[in-house]
Amino acid sequence: MSAAEIALLVLAVLALVAVVLWSVAQRLDRLHRREFQTRAALEAQLVRRADIAAEVAASGILDPASAVLVSDAVLSSMRAVRLVGEDDTPQAHADRGLIESELTRTLRTALDETDPAIPARDTAAAEAVERLRHSHYRVQLARRFHNDAVVQIHHIRRLALVRLFRLAGHAPLPRTFEMDDAPV
Amino acid sequence: MMKVGLVCPYSVDVPGGVQFHVRDLAEKLIEFGDQVQVLAPADEDTEVPDYVTSTGRAVPVRYNGSVARLSFGPVVAARTQRWLEAGDFDVVHIHEPLPPSVGLIALHLAEAPVVATFHSAQTRSRALQAAYPLVRPGLERIRARIAVSEDARSTVVDHVGGDAVIIPNGVYTARFARARATQEWIGTPQRPTIAFLGRLDEPRKGLQVLAAAVGRILQDVPGARFLIAGRGDATQARADLGRYGESVEFLGPLEERDKASLLSSVDLYIAPQTGGESFGIVLVEAISAGALVVASDLPAFRRVLDGDRGGYLFRTGDAQHLAEVVRTALSDPEGARTRREYATGIAERYDWNVVAAQVRDVYTMVTEAAQVQTRSALPSMREWFGRKR
Repeated sequence: MSAAEIALLVLAVLALVAVVLWSVAQRLDRLHRREFQTRAALEAQLVRRADIAAEVAASGILDPASAVLVSDAVLSSMRAVRLVGEDDTPQAHADRGLIESELTRTLRTALDETDPAIPARDTAAAEAVERLRHSHYRVQLARRFHNDAVVQIHHIRRLALVRLFRLAGHAPLPRTFEMDDAPV
Repeated sequence: MMKVGLVCPYSVDVPGGVQFHVRDLAEKLIEFGDQVQVLAPADEDTEVPDYVTSTGRAVPVRYNGSVARLSFGPVVAARTQRWLEAGDFDVVHIHEPLPPSVGLIALHLAEAPVVATFHSAQTRSRALQAAYPLVRPGLERIRARIAVSEDARSTVVDHVGGDAVIIPNGVYTARFARARATQEWIGTPQRPTIAFLGRLDEPRKGLQVLAAAVGRILQDVPGARFLIAGRGDATQARADLGRYGESVEFLGPLEERDKASLLSSVDLYIAPQTGGESFGIVLVEAISAGALVVASDLPAFRRVLDGDRGGYLFRTGDAQHLAEVVRTALSDPEGARTRREYATGIAERYDWNVVAAQVRDVYTMVTEAAQVQTRSALPSMREWFGRKR
């Protein structure tokens, strides 16, 4: 093998490595972007849910104690640290999860109608509660899609190749968002 | 209004659960006002609805231990590319993205946000594992995963990692609810009617379990009439059931409409399946028609009936227990009434109106997320790929 051939071979191998690295980095980039997007979408759904919960609390269809507690939980949610653009530390996100879980639990008790003796609500009120349940469902979806993106990132960042070449750059490792979003 | 592209990997010439699901979903979304296009394999000379674009004939190939009819190759890829460009979709919804067919091709080519629905429970296949490095980047493009059942969801968890939201198969419950009862199938307190529906010669459908229980049931309720409907070779069944004479009637295969009518006429519908049911759509159809269900306690059936709140359950394959439960069901009008009422609520959950609205919610979430600008998210990656997208 002549020197030229060896050089060519080395070049070919380098090119191959570069292509592989580039494609993995691109996948990683795409996933990180999606993680950000799904987090923003989750944030939007959480705000929407808090909004509708506030509306339900103010509408007079809840008993007074429930109304106060729901309003209070809504306030905490609105004052909490946003999931995008503010404090992106895991602790901040975990705290937000606790606050949103609190809202879920309060709503669950406030809307519990399993006692058959409870009279049926008027249609406008029932419609507001229906919208609340719908937005809660969307929170469930948004959270699921966000956590999926996170899990995929974890999967790819565990690859030796990614760690060796530091393909993730300085991007922080995202965490799944944990909260109680079982149906209310 | 959304522009939705649905991709079905299996040929629409052949009846199948995925194909029906895609057709029903497409029609319901069109009814909601969306612009829907379907891409699926079909024979050149097959009549397809005008919202369907064919990728051409599906070819039988050996894959994953059995022969599957799949659609692949450069012609299919080019047609898929043209369909995607012409459709300019807000969201591309791929059904069964794992089989190497048009779904997998669309997954790699789609630029619009991708939603995927996993229908079947699949065991980890060697073929898939070998091809995994090739498939994985494609699977990562899926923004939202839907599973139609618990079993399908475990497939996602095992194959892809992460999770999936469960949105069940839809049923046009109104078609069953509208069904008129047929006089000769309506039972009386002395002569209650008990129906079986399903292939007669397939053990998993469980006719043999019911057959073994008939004698005991007739001891308790001598007037009971058994109506057996379904396709398949009835020789064995007739041999087992011949001795009960007129108590057992074979109705042969029934049209969809007659099936619904049978379900709404009879006192009890028996679902003695012994396995192979990952979803339990038969039960949803039965309760939509207003039937009181006695079903084996398969996990899928248990889930559909919310335990035994929407019907009666017996131990799978246990004919003696089946006979006992039938006796209870026939002698307990109060329990039967509350179960029927509860079952009405279950049927609503599976109605296409509800199910398609949930799918639309997924589309909305995905398209909203896709519009979020991501440039500032990753400073280091931006330096690398600043000019890309």
